[in-house]
Order: sequence, then C-alpha cells, then structure tokens
Amino acid sequence: MRLILTSILFICLFGCNKSQIEDVNFDEEASQESGGTLTNAMIGEPNNLIAMIAGDGASSLIAGQIFNSLLKYDENLEFEGDLAESWEISEDYKTIKFNLKVQKKWSDNHPITCKDVLFTWKAVTHPDTRTPYGSDYQLVSSAQCINDYQFIAKYKEPYAPALETWASLHILPEHLLKNEDINNTYFSLNPVGSNYYSLDSWVTGQQLKLKGNPNAVHGKPLIDNKVSRIIPDLSSQFMELIAGNIDLMSINPIQYSRVFPNRPELNKKINLYKEMGNGYTYFGFNLKKRPFDDINVRKAISLAIDRQEIIDGVLLGLGEEITSPYKPGTYWENKNIKKLSFNPEKAKELLENSGYRLNNNIYEKDGIPLSFEILTNQNKQREMTAVLIQRRLQDIGIDASIRVIEWASFVNRFIKTGEFQAVVLGWSLSLDPDQYSIWHSSQQGPGQFNFIGYSNKTVDNLLEKGRQELNKEKRKAIYNDFSSILYDDQPIIYLYAGYGLSAIHKKIKGVKKLSPPAGIYHNDYEWFVPNKFRRNEMSL
Amino acid sequence: MRKIIKNPLAFAGLIIILLIGILALFASYLSPYDPNYIDIQSILVSPNKQHIMGTDALGRDVFSRMLHGAQISLLVGIVAVGISTLIGIMLGSIAGFYRGITDTLIMRLVDVMLSIPSFFLILAVIAFLTPSIWNIMIVIGLTSWMGVTRLVRAEFLSLKERDFILAAETIGASDLRIILIHLLPNSLGPIIVSTVLGVASAVLIESGLSFLGLGVQAPTASWGNILTDGKEYIQFAWWLSLFPGLAILITVLGYNLLGEGLRDNFDQNT
Repeated sequence: MRLILTSILFICLFGCNKSQIEDVNFDEEASQESGGTLTNAMIGEPNNLIAMIAGDGASSLIAGQIFNSLLKYDENLEFEGDLAESWEISEDYKTIKFNLKVQKKWSDNHPITCKDVLFTWKAVTHPDTRTPYGSDYQLVSSAQCINDYQFIAKYKEPYAPALETWASLHILPEHLLKNEDINNTYFSLNPVGSNYYSLDSWVTGQQLKLKGNPNAVHGKPLIDNKVSRIIPDLSSQFMELIAGNIDLMSINPIQYSRVFPNRPELNKKINLYKEMGNGYTYFGFNLKKRPFDDINVRKAISLAIDRQEIIDGVLLGLGEEITSPYKPGTYWENKNIKKLSFNPEKAKELLENSGYRLNNNIYEKDGIPLSFEILTNQNKQREMTAVLIQRRLQDIGIDASIRVIEWASFVNRFIKTGEFQAVVLGWSLSLDPDQYSIWHSSQQGPGQFNFIGYSNKTVDNLLEKGRQELNKEKRKAIYNDFSSILYDDQPIIYLYAGYGLSAIHKKIKGVKKLSPPAGIYHNDYEWFVPNKFRRNEMSL
Repeated sequence: MRKIIKNPLAFAGLIIILLIGILALFASYLSPYDPNYIDIQSILVSPNKQHIMGTDALGRDVFSRMLHGAQISLLVGIVAVGISTLIGIMLGSIAGFYRGITDTLIMRLVDVMLSIPSFFLILAVIAFLTPSIWNIMIVIGLTSWMGVTRLVRAEFLSLKERDFILAAETIGASDLRIILIHLLPNSLGPIIVSTVLGVASAVLIESGLSFLGLGVQAPTASWGNILTDGKEYIQFAWWLSLFPGLAILITVLGYNLLGEGLRDNFDQNT
C-alpha cells in the first residue's frame, strides 16, 4: 500500500513539475537584472588555481575568472587594458611601459600596485617555480617599478609576441604570497583575485562555487554566482543539460545536428551556438623515418585523402578545410594558398615517380612495402578520421594500420621517444602567429613540440624574423611566406578545423547570437538571468 | 550426450553455443555488407529493413560487424583457452605425477599467479605489447592456466593411488605412457568443464580489453569495440549498445550453462 502511495506521489511530482516547465516561454525578452546563478560542468577538477603552476584546462578556466592580467583581448581580438590603463612600446621595440589603473583593489581590499606585477614576473621567472611558461618571461632582461602604477619590462631583442605573453600572465597579490612557496601554498586553493569572481566554496569531487567580486577591476558582473559542477563523463553532462541541471556545455556534432533537430522540446529551452574553433586536426609524419622523408610520398598521401569526406563523416559537415596553420578567417590566415584536392590518380603517379611499384595491390620500393601504423589517442573523432584515412590509402595501394592509445602513454612512449610513424593529432592555437616552438628545427628535443622532426632553413629564418617584427603588415607577409612553404612541404596534412559547438539554456540572456572573433563566452560578464526564469535555488 | 539433452539448461547452453558458432563460421556469407564498408550518407541509421541492426557513426552496417565480431570473440575465446588448457595440463600432470619439490615449485607459482588480479595483469602486459588479436590470445592464455593446473594435479593425486595405475607401473610402463594413456583420459571430465567455462571468461576479457581500447584495433570489428563506439551515442543510438551487449551476455550465458550442466553430470558420475 505504501509503495502505491509513494509511486502516486512520484508520478504527481514529475507530472506537476513538467507542466510548470512547459508553461514558461524562455524566448521572452527581459530587461537586464543582476543576481541569479549560472551552472556549468567541468570534466576534470582544477588542481591549483594559480594558473602558471597548474597548466591544466580546468584550472585555467576557473583561475581566469578570478585573476586579471595586464592586458586582455577585446571582442575583435585586439589588445585592451586589463589591469593596465595604457601601455607604450619604445621605438626600438625593446621596452614596454605599462601604466596601471589606479585605485583598484584585490578582493580583500588591499590596493593593487606595480609591486604585485613585479612580484608575479619574479615568480614566473624564478628557477624554483615549477611552471612550463617561464621561458617567455625570461626573455625580459630587466623589469622594474617606476612608481606604484608604472611597470617597465625591457627585452634584449625585440620580441613580437611580448604583448600576448602579458595578456596571459595572471597578476598575483604580493602581500599574500611574498612569504609563501608558490609551488605549494594554501593560496592556490583559496585565492584572492581582482577579476569578476572570487571563490566562494569548493567541495572536492562535486562542485566549485564562485561569487561576484564587489571590488572587481571592471565592476561587478551581472550574474551573482557561478557554479561549476564536476561531471567527468560527457554523456552524463549532456543528460544533465537536458534535465536542466546545468545551463551550458560544449556539445559534439552528433548532438548538434542529430539530437537537437529531432527533439523540439529541447529547442524550446536551449539555444545552440556554432563558431570557428581555435585549433585544427592533422595527419602528421615522423619525417626522420622512411618513407616520410620523401616529399612525393607525403604529397601522394595528401592527394589520396578526401578531406571533405572526413568533415562530412566525422564532423557531419561542421568544420572547414584549412591550408595554413591559423584559424580560418583570422588576420594571419594565408588565403592565397591553392589547396591540394582529392586526386588518387595523381597520387599514384607521384608514388611511381618516386620509384614505387605495385605488388599485390601494395606499392613497394627496394622490396619494402609502403606500409605504416597510424597512431592516435582515445578520441572518437580522431579514431574515425584514422579509419577514413586508412580506407583511402588502401584504395591507392598504401597499407596502413591503426592503433589507438591512452593519452599519457601516447605522449610518453611514442611522441617523446620519436617511436612513431604517423599520427592523427591536433594543435590548439594561440592568438599570436608565432609558431616557433612547433616548426623551428631547434625544437626537436624530447618533450618539445617539433616532435615530427621538421627542419627547413628558410622556415627557421622566417620564424626567427617573425618573432622580432612588430609591424603588423610586415609580420603578416612573413607568416604568409611561412604558411605557403609549409604547405608546399606537407610535413603534416591539415585535415580540418572543427567548429566549436555550444548549448546554452535560453534563460541566460545577453549571449551574442553572432559570435565575435573572440568567441561567445567573451562577454559572459554581461550575461544575466532574468528573475522570472531563475530556478528555486537550494544550497548544498 | 544424452544426459546433456536431459538437462534443459545445459541443452539450451549447447544450442546457443552452436548457433553463435555457426553464425560466426559463416559470417562472410551471412553478412549483407562488408563489415568495414563506410557509407558517409547513412550515419547512425536506426534499425530498418536494409540494416536490421542499424548503422554506426561511420555508416557501417552493425549486423555485419556483429557477425564478424562473433568470429573474433569466439576465436580469441577458443584459442586462448586452448593455450591455457595445454599449459595447465602439462604443469598439472608434472606436479601431480612427480610430487615432491617439482610439485611444490609449480603450486607456489600457481599461488603467485593467482594472487595477482588477472584482468589487471593482462591490462599491464597488453599495454606493453602491440595490441592485436594474436597477442591478446597469447596473453589471456598465459595468464589463465592456474585453474586447470590445480584441477589436473588434484585428479592425478587421487588417481595415482588407484590399483590400475599400480598395475601399469608394475608392468613397467613408462611415466609418459602412464600419464597419457592412463591418467589423463580419466581426468578429462573436470578439464572439459573448466575449458568450457574458460571460453566464457576469455570472451568477457576480450570484450573488456576492446572496450578499453586495448583489444582488437580499429577498423576490425569486435563486440567490445562496437560497444565502446556506442557508449558515446547511448542517448539516441541505442542499437549500438544494445546488440553487442546482448551478444556478449548470451554467449557468456551459453558457455556457463553448458559448463555448469557438464559439471553436474560429472559430479553425478563420481
């Protein structure tokens, strides 16, 4: 009897709840109101909120809401002041002077001064600090404070990506950290910052809650609280989104173009956004090994792969082909490169020019068949891409096998040791065009980024020049040359740049429909949740 | 055989095993499509007349992949168990027949092997080798012989005290002859039972490894592979998780039913 009563109660609970939700029209316009809570989900838990020490995505995402840098990017990806009011670059390009905003305070009411900036620079360049980002700041030969609000950084050589490096260094409070070991301090779990939010509570393994910082350098944000729930599995995150327990997440192409179009009730409460992502996926070779030291083999492989098929099959059309290692549509992209299109006949011709002959439907040269292993990590899109590539290579007479490996052993056993033949991998890109660490021939040591072993004197030269050129047009010309040489050489085959797909609940207002170059999350401090759409909030 | 037919559960197990065996054996004739044929135009189609189990994220026919996956799963199961049974019989016979220090050494080795959780041992070994079905068979075989060794040894210990063995020894039969002609045939019962049960666990281990990405590599189909592919789309492409899951369940159930049935049978005999 009790069971029946309970079930009736449950049915009623769900029934009532449902009808209430259906009544709300989330498309209604609403005027700006502050307050409310935004809930999102993270796959991993941050380990340290001092970003220079942490180095993982979850940590820098949270830390970015708590700390400011000297500079930041505006919505068109131009620099604007963050903690700095203005900045001047000397005529010889070797000195940058930052004028800080005055009268600004940390969230504990202590004033923000040049001392904090100097302290942060000293910390990031100190040999005892365990940070992967030190080398950029070690190029600063001397740094000093002229007064409380003027900071000067001097470089030995002009360094074009300098401003970008100052836009990615979170300034830390000296008064709390000067006597601490920055590698291992309680501050990293209980930070005091200057940006829109400060840490409210953190339940390990469950969620992390941020609250609006009344001292925020750019003023208090509209949304009062941000809750980041830790949900390690993407499918579970998606179910939470559908259930309305989280307000936004990034989704995959299948969810974007298969699940949502078939479920009108979801479209009533969730908006989808599509924007160019900030990275690309490629098919890379170990250039130090046969047969990839032969440019004809690389070109043949490139011609044999149908990139549009990969974009249609793996991304359901939600991506673009690229021809230079820059985000499509940005200033640095070289739009004049003529792309190699799918042409298996030409591919065979190139292989035959290089002395390969068909034997049992597989090309071989000097008795060695053209056969190799494609490695990739456990990423469904990359694995599917590898399967499509394998099929196309088989069609023209190249025998490829696939091996999927977990990320840590992928990097440690194969990439760092150079014990691989071909890989399907991706690069995410920084906003500065400098790609010295990926392509310069000096960057081939274990753990460095030029693990494919690319070495081209002209490219080395261009990369060195590009780092020292601060004139934007001249710099663009340098990187255009770099992109076209790279495309002629085909050290890697660009496969696609996928769109970033996001789902955001309609009760969140103020999201720009047409995303600016800096992305839809760029103006999240202007987002708001109208009072009528707020859910009854229970505290944990 | 007649006794198996009388035991309905064991009989059901036998039928299931035979059925899946036949499906696997004739996979190339029965599957309507090439299991690796990619069709970008029909991605994740739900089950219909053309694709009775739907298609996967690359538009490949799931039914064809399931049939070829059955081949892989059964092949791995049977070869792996063959290897482990062979090792088990050899070590068990030596230990049970010669006793003494040889016995102690072998049985302590068994204890050591048993103290390591076998799935993690297999995971660790596979992570260092190139994952291929041959490696998987060998590794599963090399890490699961302990049960058979113990069984054979125990049987030998009790059989050796019987009069007919004494008789054979008195006539002057060689050790090898006594083991092969007199002891082994009389201890076949428990070996068969453990072999049948072993296939079930080997099928499960292979699916587990493939599910974790350490088993059979893409694009070769195996039940574990199809299941991992399906995990990502479980909210709406239910067919990708349901069919391989069911197949693994039914196969393992079949072998277990038959194994248990046989065990009851042999127990009654003795």
